[in-house]
Amino acid sequence: MSAPIERRRRAARLRLVVRLLARDWRSGELTLLVIALLVAVGTVSAISLTTDRLGRALLSESSNLLAADRVITSGRDIPASFEDRARAFGLDTARTLTFASMVYVGDRNQLVSVKAVSDGYPLRGILRVADEPFGPDAPTKALPAAGEVWLDARVFPALGIAPGDPITVGEAELRVARVLAAEPDRGGSFFDFGPRLLMRLDDVPATGVVKPGSRLYHRLLLAGDEAALDNLAVELRDSLAPHYRWRSIREASPTVGDALGRAESFLLLGGLIAVLLAGAAVALGAHRYARRHYDHVAIFKTLGATPANVQYGYLTLLAGLGALAVPLGLLLGGAVHLAIVNSLATLMPVHLPAPGLKPLVVGAVTGFICLFAFAVPPVTALRGISPMRVIRRDLAHLGPSAGITYGSAAVGSLVLLIWYSGSVLLTLWTLLGVLGVSVVFGAIAFALLHGGRAIGMQAGSRWRLALAGLQRRRNENVAQVLIFGLAIMLLLILVLLRTELLEEWRAQLPPQAPNHFVMNVVSDELADVQQLLAAETTYSGVLYPMVRGRIVAVDGEAAAERRRRMTDEGDGPRLDSERNLSFVDALPTNNRIVAGQWWDGAGSFVSLEAEFARETGIGIGDVLEFDVAGARFEVTVTSLREVEWGSLEPNFFLLFAPGVLERYAATWMTSFYLPPERKRFLNELLGRFPTITVIEVDEVIAQVQRIVGRVTQAIELVLALVLGAGCLVLIASIQASRDERLKEHALLRALGGSKRLIQGALSAEFAVLGAFAGIVAAVGAELTTWILTTRVFELPGAAHPWLWALGPVLGVAIVATCGVLGTRSLVRSPPVMVLRELG
Amino acid sequence: MTTPILRARGITKVLPTTEGELAILTGVDLEINAGESVAVMGRSGSGKTTLLGILAGLDSPSAGTVVLDGEEITALDEERRAVVRGERVGFVFQSFQLLGSLTALENVMLPGELKGDADPRADALALLARVGLAERTTHYPRQLSGGEQQRVAIARAFASKPSILFADEPTGNLDTATGEHIIELIFELNREFETTLVLVTHDARLAVRCDRVIELEAGHIVAERMAVRQ
Ligand SMILES: Nc1ncnc2c1ncn2[C@@H]1O[C@H](COP(=O)(O)OP(=O)(O)O)[C@@H](O)[C@H]1O
Ligand SMILES: [Mg+2]
Repeated sequence: MSAPIERRRRAARLRLVVRLLARDWRSGELTLLVIALLVAVGTVSAISLTTDRLGRALLSESSNLLAADRVITSGRDIPASFEDRARAFGLDTARTLTFASMVYVGDRNQLVSVKAVSDGYPLRGILRVADEPFGPDAPTKALPAAGEVWLDARVFPALGIAPGDPITVGEAELRVARVLAAEPDRGGSFFDFGPRLLMRLDDVPATGVVKPGSRLYHRLLLAGDEAALDNLAVELRDSLAPHYRWRSIREASPTVGDALGRAESFLLLGGLIAVLLAGAAVALGAHRYARRHYDHVAIFKTLGATPANVQYGYLTLLAGLGALAVPLGLLLGGAVHLAIVNSLATLMPVHLPAPGLKPLVVGAVTGFICLFAFAVPPVTALRGISPMRVIRRDLAHLGPSAGITYGSAAVGSLVLLIWYSGSVLLTLWTLLGVLGVSVVFGAIAFALLHGGRAIGMQAGSRWRLALAGLQRRRNENVAQVLIFGLAIMLLLILVLLRTELLEEWRAQLPPQAPNHFVMNVVSDELADVQQLLAAETTYSGVLYPMVRGRIVAVDGEAAAERRRRMTDEGDGPRLDSERNLSFVDALPTNNRIVAGQWWDGAGSFVSLEAEFARETGIGIGDVLEFDVAGARFEVTVTSLREVEWGSLEPNFFLLFAPGVLERYAATWMTSFYLPPERKRFLNELLGRFPTITVIEVDEVIAQVQRIVGRVTQAIELVLALVLGAGCLVLIASIQASRDERLKEHALLRALGGSKRLIQGALSAEFAVLGAFAGIVAAVGAELTTWILTTRVFELPGAAHPWLWALGPVLGVAIVATCGVLGTRSLVRSPPVMVLRELG
Repeated sequence: MTTPILRARGITKVLPTTEGELAILTGVDLEINAGESVAVMGRSGSGKTTLLGILAGLDSPSAGTVVLDGEEITALDEERRAVVRGERVGFVFQSFQLLGSLTALENVMLPGELKGDADPRADALALLARVGLAERTTHYPRQLSGGEQQRVAIARAFASKPSILFADEPTGNLDTATGEHIIELIFELNREFETTLVLVTHDARLAVRCDRVIELEAGHIVAERMAVRQ
C-alpha cells in the first residue's frame, strides 16, 4: 500500500470522524459528556482561580500582621550582610527597633514602647494617622520626618500635650508631629506594651537610650518574590542560628497560621472532591455514549472498519471533544470566578490581586486527565465490539474489563489529586474513604435492595412495580446507589468539615474575647482595679497571680553551670533568667498535658511548658531549686504541657501547684474586653493606677478575625461549587440509566399502564434509590469526616446524629427530583415514540 | 467459472452454556464459485445465521477453515479480517442496520469513506439513483419506509464493489410485495456487479431463484441441489 493512498485514507477517516462528531453533537448524544467536561474544567478552574486570588489576598492581609512577608528578629543588631544578601535577591528591606522608654514633658512622664523605623517601613500594610488625638484617621505612606515622632492618641491627654509640642526622649528633644492611629504590625507581644511612639531609626543614637544591656527587639523586614524569599532563607540558614530568627506569618501568629493552613487544606479538599465528582460525571457520560454506539461500531466493522480504525476514530473524537470543551470550560470557570469575586467585592474592601496562570493550567490539565482516565476506557472498549452484533442485537458486550476501568480511573484520580493538592496524605485519606465506602456499602446497597423486594410484595401496585424494577436490575442499581451515595457523601463531608472548622474558629475567637491585659496589679489595688474594670468594661474576673523568681539549680547542679555545660546560648528561653511564676489549681483550658500527671491538690509540684523543658533539658521527676525574693525552695517536675501560644491568653513556662508560692508577694494579671470606641478608658485606668501595665491585643484580634472571616467566605464558596458538581453527577447517573429504565416503562405503557402509574413507579423507584444512597452516604460521611478531622485537620472528632436523618432525606429529595425531572419528557410522549427512540 | 471464491472445511461452532456445550454447527463443508448465487435454507434455529457470520468473517468458528477469495480468513486476526470485509464483502441484513444519525446518502458513502475512496459521494449518489432513491438522499432512516431502508442498505452493500454479497433474510421484515421488489433489486445488482451471492432464507420461492440451494438442519448440511434455472 503506497504512502499517498494511506495518507488519503487517513484524511478521509478524519473527515468521517469530524462528521460523526458534528452529528452526535447535534443529536445531543454528546451533551452529557460535554457538560460533564465543562463542569470539571469550569469548577476546577473557578475554584483554583478564586482560591488563588483569595489566597493571595489572605497572604497579603496576613503579611500585614508582620508589615512584611518575612522577618528576621533578634535581640542583637542584625548584620548589614543579611540586608545586602536580601537586596541582591531583589527583595525590599526595612529595619525596625523596638524598646521601652520614658518620655518627659515638663514634670510629667509616661512609659512608651518606642518603635524606630527605617525608610520603606512598612513593607506590607499601611500606617494610619490623625491630626488630633481621637480624631478621624487616614492612611499615609509617609513616616515621621527627622526630629519628629508620632504618638499614640492616649499619650496626649496623659502628658497634656497637643500635636506640634516638643517632648523629651532620653537626651533628645523631638517634636510630636501627628497622632499614630494604627500600625499593621502592632503585635500583641508581652514584651511590647505601652502606648506607641514611632520615630526614625536615624534619630535613635541622639536619644542615648540604647545602651549595652538594654532590652531591644531588632527586626529586618523582607518582602518580595516568594521564590527569592525561599532562596534567601536557604542561604542564610546557617548564619541565622543561634542569635537570629527567621519568621513568617505562620510562626509569628499561630492562630492565623492555623487558620490559613486549615483553610488551604479545606479549599484543596473541596477542589479535589469537585474534580472527583466531575470525573464520575465524565465517566458516566462516556459510558452512556459508548453504549449507544455499540451498534454503530458493529456496523462500521461489517463495512470494513478495523479495531484500530475504531479506536483511532473514537480517540480522535474524544481528543476533539477535549479541544472544544476545555477552552470553553476555562471560559466558564473564568466567568464563574468573576461572578464570585464581584459578589464578594461588596463584602471585601480590599482589592484582590490578579490571579496567576497556574489555575488555568490546572483547569485544562484536569479536563484532559478526566477525559482520558474516565472516558477513554469505555470508549476504547468499543474496539472489541463483535461485528456479529449486527445479526444478533442481544449479543452481550460487557464493556471494558472492570480492572481497566477502575484501575484507570483510580490512577487518574490519584495523579490528579496528588498533583492538585501537593498532599499525598490528604489524597490518600480521601481516596481511602471513597474506596472503603464503595466496597463496604456496595454490600449494604445489595442487601437493602434485596430486602426492599420482600417488603414491596406487600405494597401497592406502584411500589410493587418500583421495587420489582429495582430488584430486576440489581447490579446496575447497586452501582447507582453507590454513585448517588458517594456524591451525597462527598457533599455531606464538606458540610461537616465546614461546620467543624468554623465552630473551631468561633470558639477560638469569641466576639468579646478579652483584648486587653492588665499586669503588675499589686494585692492592695486588686479590689479597686477589679471594681473599675467591672464597671467600665466587659470583665470576666479571671485572675492570674504572678511571682517573680528564677531557677537556681536542677537536681543539685547550679543553673549557670548547667547552662554552660549544655551550651545553651541560643535565642530560646534561658534557664536561669528571672521569670513570671504562677500557680493554679486546674489545668488552663488551652494547655494540654503531654507527659506526667496534672496535680489534684496542693504540693511542691511544678509543671513545665514542653518546649522550654526540651530546650533546657529538664524532664519529669527532676528537682528544681528556685530563688524567689531571696528565699530558696525545691519543687519536683510532675508534668509537661503543650501550650497554645496562638490563643492570645496568658501562658506561663512554669506553673506551680497551690501551696508553694502563696507566701510570696504576688502581683496579679487579669484581662478584659474593651470595644474600640472606648479606648480612652485606658487613660482613666492608667491615671488611677499609674504602676499597672496594660497590654493591648485588640488590634491583633481584630485583624485575625478579619482574616478568618475571609477564609470562611472562601470555604462557603467552594462548598457551593462542589454542590453544583454533585448535582451534575446525579443527573449524569440518572441519564445513564434512563434508556433501560424507560424501555421497561414504555412496554408497561404499551400494555396499558397509565401515565400516572408509570410516573408514580418511577418516582417511587428513584425515591427508594435516593433513600438507600442517603443511608450509604451518611455512614460514609461520618467515617471519612472523623478520619479527616482527626488526621488531617487535627481537630477533635465528633458524631453527628442529625446526619443520619439528613442523609436519607437529602437522598430522597435530590434523587427523586433529578430523576423525575430527567424522565418527565419521555413519560409524557406516546409509548410508540419511546419504543422507536430506544430502537 | 469453476474457481471457488469461498471454500469452507469442517466448520464447527460450539458455544458454552450453563447446561454444558451447545453445538450449533457440526462440520460444515462448502464450496462456492465466483459469480454463483447460493441460497442457504433451513428452519429457524438450524444455524443459518451462525454459518453466514462465519463464512463472512464476522465470527470465528470453533474449528475449521474458511478461505475467501484466496485469503484464509479463519487464520487472520480481527484487524485483517476487517480489511478483507471492507474490500471484498458486502452485507444486507434482515433489520437493515442503517446508522440512524446519518442520512441515506451518508450511509451509502460510509464504505467508500472508510476505504478512503477518491469520490465516495458521486458513487453513492449513482447507487442511490440505481435503487430508485435519487429523491430521498437527504432523508434519515426514520423518515423512510422499511422497503426504502432496505434499498439504502443494498446500495450501501454494493458501494464497496464487493466480490461476494451476504444477505441474511433480507425480506424477513418486509411484506410480500415489497420483499419481492427487494429480491429483484438484489439479483439485478448482483448481475450488474458480477458479484457472488450467499442468500440466507427460509422462503422457498426466493431459494429457487438461486443457482444452488443448501439445506441446513441441526447444524449440518442435509441436502444440496442445483436449482432449476427459470
Ligand atoms: N450467542 C448464542 N448463545 C446461545 N445460543 C446461540 C447463540 N447464537 C446462536 N445460538 C443458538 O444456535 C442456534 C442457531 O442459531 P441461528 O444461527 O441464529 O439459527 P437461524 O439463523 O437458522 O435461525 C439457535 O438454537 C440459537 O438459539
Ligand atoms: Mg437467522
